[in-house]
Amino acid sequence: MEVGQQKEWASKANAGNRPRLSRFLLVIAGLAVLLMIAILAGTTVGAVPVKVRSVVSVLFHLGSFGHRSWTAADEAIIFQIRLPRVIASALVGGALSAAGVLFQGLFRNPLADPYVIGSQGGAALGASVAILVLPHFSILGFSATASLAFVGSLLTMAVVYWLARVGGRTPIVTLLLAGFALSTILSYSTTFFMYLNPQSELATRMLITWMHGAISISEWPQIAIISVLVTIGVILSLPLARALNALSLGEEYAEQLGVRVEFARMAVITVGSLLTAAAVSLGGLIGFVGLIVPHFCRLLQGPDHLRLLPTAALSGAIFLILADTLARTVIAPAELPVGILTAFIGGPAFLFLLRRNKQEQYLA
Amino acid sequence: MKPILELSAVTFSYGRVSVFENTSLTVQRGERVALVGANGAGKTTLLKLAAGLLRPTAGNVFLEGRDIHQTRRREIAKEIAYVPQQLAIPFDFTVQEIVEQGRTPYLRMLSGLSNHDRGAVEHAMQVTSVTHLRRRIFNQLSGGEQQRVKLAVALAQEPCLLLLDEPTQHLDIGRQAEILELILELNERGVTIISALHDLNAVRSSFPAIILLYLDRQIVHGATSLILKQETIERAFEIKGLGALSNWVSW
Repeated sequence: MEVGQQKEWASKANAGNRPRLSRFLLVIAGLAVLLMIAILAGTTVGAVPVKVRSVVSVLFHLGSFGHRSWTAADEAIIFQIRLPRVIASALVGGALSAAGVLFQGLFRNPLADPYVIGSQGGAALGASVAILVLPHFSILGFSATASLAFVGSLLTMAVVYWLARVGGRTPIVTLLLAGFALSTILSYSTTFFMYLNPQSELATRMLITWMHGAISISEWPQIAIISVLVTIGVILSLPLARALNALSLGEEYAEQLGVRVEFARMAVITVGSLLTAAAVSLGGLIGFVGLIVPHFCRLLQGPDHLRLLPTAALSGAIFLILADTLARTVIAPAELPVGILTAFIGGPAFLFLLRRNKQEQYLA
Repeated sequence: MKPILELSAVTFSYGRVSVFENTSLTVQRGERVALVGANGAGKTTLLKLAAGLLRPTAGNVFLEGRDIHQTRRREIAKEIAYVPQQLAIPFDFTVQEIVEQGRTPYLRMLSGLSNHDRGAVEHAMQVTSVTHLRRRIFNQLSGGEQQRVKLAVALAQEPCLLLLDEPTQHLDIGRQAEILELILELNERGVTIISALHDLNAVRSSFPAIILLYLDRQIVHGATSLILKQETIERAFEIKGLGALSNWVSW
């Protein structure tokens, strides 16, 4: 290429790119601040209120010359009860939202959610086996429920992928149908399993709560492991963003743009499955987060997946901290499964966005 | 010099429906070729085989002498751009975001667009006259505008071979003329063009070479003036009698 033409191109190049980048960074910075505020609020609010000052002091070990400005009870509440739960909510919300972005991009469908290829059924069956058969088992801070839900979720998605794969390719529609069928079979197996074990009403109630999303008070080692998994998942999803953008234009078109479609699809499913399984193991089956947060973020940042993924991860974390804080305070000292709240908030919000979009389309 | 595209004894079928049998074809660099045939004759299939998006059941496709299925997908995308008839996009990408995707084969996994990439995008938008649409949502554009954006993506790929699948379909005659003019301009800039077209007058006026696909799986390839005749058209489109045809083609 001629040098002259290159110069001409370079001068054309700066038109219209800078504002988008600064807007993106602004949104990310804003969300990061909101996340901090949500963590503080979630740690402060609860059945027993704790002062914001105490929370900040405990978190950052502030105190003048060894003098502690908080009580031992405050410290216990913050470190052993509130903070683990708030962090767990953030991880679950972030993971589900990022997975939602991945699966919506892969399936080219804004109605896809993290459970779309069957993890729901597998996780539920795993959890039911754990709750009904192994209630006291625990490894590395993971209850049997958490471990078996994680394994069940991952296994189901692997089986669905294997079932849908024909002659070196995995057609999207086959993948969806296989996921739907397997998830339904496993969900009904869960119900069947519950009928076979009618002796324990408590266990059944626990399972129902779990199936509607319940972030229990987690132990730190468990949170550490899941946060590593979620961080790895989100980081690994970023290099897939460009392939997802291309896949949004259609598989064949993505291929003509140089994307190795089958490899990209496998990578997206693997990372999405990992994120979903991590979320499910901490929080049970929480609906609507992975559906509505990506949708909301698309309105905020546009559909570019490289911007969408971090935005959705942060927004999902904030959303779920707030929802879970509400879930444990609305009818305190009792708690609601957080899934009920995400449905109550997410459902109407989703309908609102849907109607607004529709109106825009008619007006356009 | 090696031909830019060569189909060598290619056989292809969808399940039991055979589309090409032992078909051979070469297109030289710089040519402007119209691909003509009835619905179902295999125009789209031929374009997809040429783009390496479909794999022949037998035979080979060569891009400048290299077997297309032995070449990395990314390398092919730098040389061939395929523009499909339809581009359905479920999300609200802007025109600029779509055209930037034409740079996909040139980008490393996490790297952003370089100045050269941005320049290529701007250039592509300028040539196709879509620069003023850059912030518009692709899905809200008119058919003619969408067609130009699709061509802009292809140009951003900086291809030497452009495969177009009925680029003037559903456009009014003014927009058809714009697209044809753009095709001529690109060809003059050195891009080899193979385009499926239904408008035989446009083929006659703007395409020196033609590939005519018959429904019986025969193919003829050569100078438009020699091939585009009443008998061949009647055979290709299975039309009997001149009456019906003379309304459509000025001989």
